[in-house]
Amino acid sequence: MTGQAPTLRGGFARRVGLSVIVLCALSLLAVRHLGLDYALGQLVFIFTYAIAGLGVVLIVGQSGQISLGQGALIALGAYVQTLLVLRGVPVPVALVLAIAVGCAGGWIASLPARRLGGLYFAMSTLAFALIVEEVLVRWESMTRGAAGLLVPDASIGPWLLNATLSQALVSGLVFLIALGCCRRWVASRHGRAWRAVRDDEVAAAACGVDVARCKAQAFVIGGGLSGLAGGLYAHWIGFISPEQFGLFLSFELLMLAFIGGARHLAGAFWGALVIVAIPQANALLRDLLPAELARAAGVEAIMFGAVIVAVILFRPQGIAGGKA
Amino acid sequence: MRSFGLISIRSMVAAVGMATAMTLSVSASATPGVSDREILVGTIQDLSGPIAMLGTPVRDAMLMRFEEANQAGGVHGRMLRLAVEDAAYDPKRAVLAARKLVQRDQVFAFLANMGTPVVMATMQMIVDSGRPHLFPFSPHELTYTPLHPLKFQMFAPYQDYMDAAVRHMVGANGYRQTCLLYQDDDYGLEVMKGVEAGLAKIDMALVERTSYKRGATDFSSQVARLRAAGCDFVVLATVVRETVAVMAEARKIGWEVDMLVTASGYSAQTHELGGDAVEGLYGVTVLPHPYAEGADPALADWIDRYRARFGVAPNVWSAMGYTIADLFIQAADAAGPELTIEGFVSAMASLHTEGDIFGGPAYRFSPDDHLGNRYGRIAQIRDGRWEVLTDYVD
Amino acid sequence: MLRRMITFMQVLVSGFATGCIYGLVALSFVLIYKATETVSFMQGELLMVGAFAVLALNVGAGWPLWLAALCGVAGMVVLGAVLERSVLRRAIGQPHLTAVLLTFGLGMMMRGSVTTVPAASHSMHRLPFPFAGETLTVGPVPVAAEHVAVIVATVLLAAALTLFFRHTRAGLALRACSENPRIASLMGVSVSRMHTLAWALGAGLAACAGLMLAPVTFVHLNMGLIALKAFPAAVLGGMTSLPGALIAGIFLGIAEAIAGLMLPEGVKDIVPYALLMIALLLFPSGIGAAFARGGARLAR
Repeated sequence: MTGQAPTLRGGFARRVGLSVIVLCALSLLAVRHLGLDYALGQLVFIFTYAIAGLGVVLIVGQSGQISLGQGALIALGAYVQTLLVLRGVPVPVALVLAIAVGCAGGWIASLPARRLGGLYFAMSTLAFALIVEEVLVRWESMTRGAAGLLVPDASIGPWLLNATLSQALVSGLVFLIALGCCRRWVASRHGRAWRAVRDDEVAAAACGVDVARCKAQAFVIGGGLSGLAGGLYAHWIGFISPEQFGLFLSFELLMLAFIGGARHLAGAFWGALVIVAIPQANALLRDLLPAELARAAGVEAIMFGAVIVAVILFRPQGIAGGKA
Repeated sequence: MRSFGLISIRSMVAAVGMATAMTLSVSASATPGVSDREILVGTIQDLSGPIAMLGTPVRDAMLMRFEEANQAGGVHGRMLRLAVEDAAYDPKRAVLAARKLVQRDQVFAFLANMGTPVVMATMQMIVDSGRPHLFPFSPHELTYTPLHPLKFQMFAPYQDYMDAAVRHMVGANGYRQTCLLYQDDDYGLEVMKGVEAGLAKIDMALVERTSYKRGATDFSSQVARLRAAGCDFVVLATVVRETVAVMAEARKIGWEVDMLVTASGYSAQTHELGGDAVEGLYGVTVLPHPYAEGADPALADWIDRYRARFGVAPNVWSAMGYTIADLFIQAADAAGPELTIEGFVSAMASLHTEGDIFGGPAYRFSPDDHLGNRYGRIAQIRDGRWEVLTDYVD
Repeated sequence: MLRRMITFMQVLVSGFATGCIYGLVALSFVLIYKATETVSFMQGELLMVGAFAVLALNVGAGWPLWLAALCGVAGMVVLGAVLERSVLRRAIGQPHLTAVLLTFGLGMMMRGSVTTVPAASHSMHRLPFPFAGETLTVGPVPVAAEHVAVIVATVLLAAALTLFFRHTRAGLALRACSENPRIASLMGVSVSRMHTLAWALGAGLAACAGLMLAPVTFVHLNMGLIALKAFPAAVLGGMTSLPGALIAGIFLGIAEAIAGLMLPEGVKDIVPYALLMIALLLFPSGIGAAFARGGARLAR
């Protein structure tokens, strides 16, 4: 890797080309092997996860903070969306409010950062997530507690989003808009300040960067993206309950960001692709393995674990790779 | 506010159901999952998640019943095949699994999907695609009400069993102070509703209730709390491990109180792990546990075959899985050689069974009641094994 | 009144015993963190695998329980060392999150591997400890024998660790390395060997905690969930203090039990995290550090 501009540009073109080829090949394989409708269903989840993943990439990759409680922010979005839609609020309006509540949740989760650094702050996000989950379970009059809520299909005006194609289009569009906004933010003065905080907090503070403010900003925006993803997720799944948004989801999102490459916004998409594809790969593998071994549960967990370990060992910058 | 949400969902469900029934009658030409040689049935199980201990025996026993039917020549010459997906109790994976089974594998029906989050996330989509949704392991009313042509259930909600069981226990033993210890999730809430409803019918109320989180280690504070409230009868909405821990804690502090556990605690593991501590525990069950010792020849033979096939002894979940697969086969057989979803569903809606080798109930379905059985029996652990004490109580 | 006192004492003892297990897992976590700066999110899985290893040797292979326990724990020590040599070494010097995810991934692989064994995932198991299910009475207070065993074993382990860290070459070297690896290496301590030692000890301690948990909750796939309570303990104890971690674990166990008895229904489960939040905000560098500072002030 030389640092010269032409090489970089060539590398960029090559990377885009490679991405397009990989994507085409994958979608061909998916459509052939899984059927168009099913492949579209997968795409819905890839985009939805990628939106939530963008939030994690911003927090982890751009501002250098650890959030172990992202699942709780998604839960906030999902619950706000569901409760509002059930009370007759139009879906787009509810979605805006879900984003707002996600932002607010992110802000609250970031408060301890004023006093705590590094690992202690990470632990406080974990505590935040567990407390949110507990509140969702206990506030039965509002959330129906652990019994969960059924979520009606999304509709925009007269358009009912109950087919996978329309769902994929909407989540894809929302993802692209979110990606565009994030790109602008990252390229701005604010984005530079975040990266300064990520690389060296003390130096950033010495240069006049308001470190606490940067961290809060990252969590507010990351929280908003989580709220957005949660709002969409609720409609696609059709049933939400507190345990869906537990610690495992938070870790899944961190793995997503790491596998995709936390330093690149595009990493969110690649990570989501891998996370959604692993169960499919497992299903393929099962057809190949001898019956007794294929019958055994747990192979998928081993694969998930192996992928994250392999990425950290052999491609620590993730699929999107490189420095940014 | 709450009822507003529910009503709209119910009416939606009903409307979709009617629409489905109408489209069904139009497009019954090529039945998905059915060829001249094969019937493909899907199931979404938990094989690696929190209730894998239930999912695995259910899956195994269904496989076993299908294999037996195939050895006997299949159903009207068609072999049965079970397509298993592991969703690990996770609704996202369940949604993907349901789509895969519907769209890619083209299954004929869904059998015994495991876990409330899984069922709630997938049931609508499954019946919308015109596939029968049969006997899910979810104690939720929505799995059979409002009446839907494609939904069938053989397990009543915990609520119904516990309502009847608590009234029976209080009536028979004259308890004055009934209390509840519950797991704080959908399961625990469902049991609480049933216990409260049952007590209300005999003009009583819960004296004390206390909860724990899944994975809890220590139950000393909960038991102390119940004892301090002066309970003389404790209903446990627990699973095996917690049941043993709670009984052991009570016995340790010398509190000889009667306890009744739901069907989730009715397992041979309860007395295998609990030993003396769980002697005298009451339990609710639909099917008796298939003990090898003292089994009649038919059951003993079944237990031997199960052991030979899977290398472990069957349990009450195996018996349930086997029964579910058996009901499916009976309905498919009754539907005749021209197997369509319509024909299958109407055969299912008039299916009456006459008990089975496990000593289970007779299941009766009718066109306006798709719940095959709603009664449980009371059992008690005596000399280290469950003894069924009563007939089906209502 | 006496009745209530006895009840209170019973709950206190149970909470103390549970807290000992939290504390031991927290201890293993802190031991690793102090020596290698690696945050291990797989202590729960190590605990579970350790318990299953003993179970497999005892029930599966038919060894006597004491031998199975000894070999099981020894096996976990070896596993810890092997993992450090092969994989975990790469996380050193990386941001915390790398280690968090690396250990989480390894934990998933361990859990998945145990899940593939049908006998492990189909049912819960009991280790045949001779005292299981017995009740002792201390004065008027009945106490479960397994709780006494847990407390005694924790005391013995803590004593053994203290001796190890104060009086053996390896223990002193590990301590030096945890305090300041650069100076330790100048003194001739092999830092990389100390990292291996820390992981081996951490895995062994987790396995011991698994053994102690076995009579209380039985051996099953999800027994590692207890680690979720051990993290707050480690943080409360200040992340770098071994006695702090143990004491914080015991404190949390007791706080949880007493909250379950006294406070309104449902509060019990958030007590550890609420305490953690409060403690973090009051003492940003951990309670252990606050104690240390207080102690230093007193000494002055």
